[in-house]
Amino acid sequence: MPSPATTQDTDWALAQAVLARDRKAIAEFVMLCSDPLYRYIRSRLQPRLEFVDDLVQDVFLTAWRSLPQYRGQSPLKSWLLGIARHKVEDHYRDRLRDLAVPDDATETIPEPAPGADFALDQARSAAATAAILAALPEPYRVVLLWRYWEQRSAEEMATLTGKTPKAIERLLSRARQEFRQQWLTKPQEATR
Amino acid sequence: MNEELWFAQLADETPLETAIPAPSCLKSLVYSHLISEAETEGPLLPLPETKAAGRGLCVFEHLIEILPVGAPLQNFQYCKICHARVLGERVEQAPIFWPCCPYSEFQNR
Repeated sequence: MPSPATTQDTDWALAQAVLARDRKAIAEFVMLCSDPLYRYIRSRLQPRLEFVDDLVQDVFLTAWRSLPQYRGQSPLKSWLLGIARHKVEDHYRDRLRDLAVPDDATETIPEPAPGADFALDQARSAAATAAILAALPEPYRVVLLWRYWEQRSAEEMATLTGKTPKAIERLLSRARQEFRQQWLTKPQEATR
Repeated sequence: MNEELWFAQLADETPLETAIPAPSCLKSLVYSHLISEAETEGPLLPLPETKAAGRGLCVFEHLIEILPVGAPLQNFQYCKICHARVLGERVEQAPIFWPCCPYSEFQNR
């Protein structure tokens, strides 16, 4: 008895049909991947939604050109999200490069150890986190998303933006401080 | 808890993705761009081969498929001159209901 086709088998077949320029397969490819891709990119760029559509189109075009390298080892959606992660990082890099981040690291900002009232309340954390991130100044939001959601180190971010690690650390420190203040002072407002 | 760890845990436990689907206009534009890109690399797969692979044709494509026309007409992307594409690229929840029309399937209904 033949074993049931896995997602990877189905996705591999779809990728081959797309490469054969089957117009309906191309439509199926767009249907399959556009929603998760859009959700990911939107979540990483919010509230600057004006960049989202261009980035989604850019990811699809890059995927189209790279499709001959797709080996079917992961689902197509995951493969496309991998491309999207790189595009989002390129976007962060460009945004941070364009912003004036002071390079002298003489000033240090003390970071108090979070107390009990800083504890993570999971019921409110997702909505509050999204709301606070959206309200932060752009450099703070970008640096926090890049560091904690995309898990890049300060050194990597410094290399990619052409800034010093100290400058990135200082920006991170200020961003954390601003986030923390908003988390502590107006959590209810943030979840509304 | 150390602040660095707190932020790492926060990011780990709060994926920021929402349930919002991609706008249908965006899906339509992406599809049109990919088709244009495909056409720069060579002719599209002929309609009979698309049908043989189990993918449905819209009413207009079906008409072309049964007409005694040559390969250039079989390969032509008829969406380029179809009202459904124009509506799909410009209007959310566009009133397109043709079966097997990509621009109809992109609508978030």
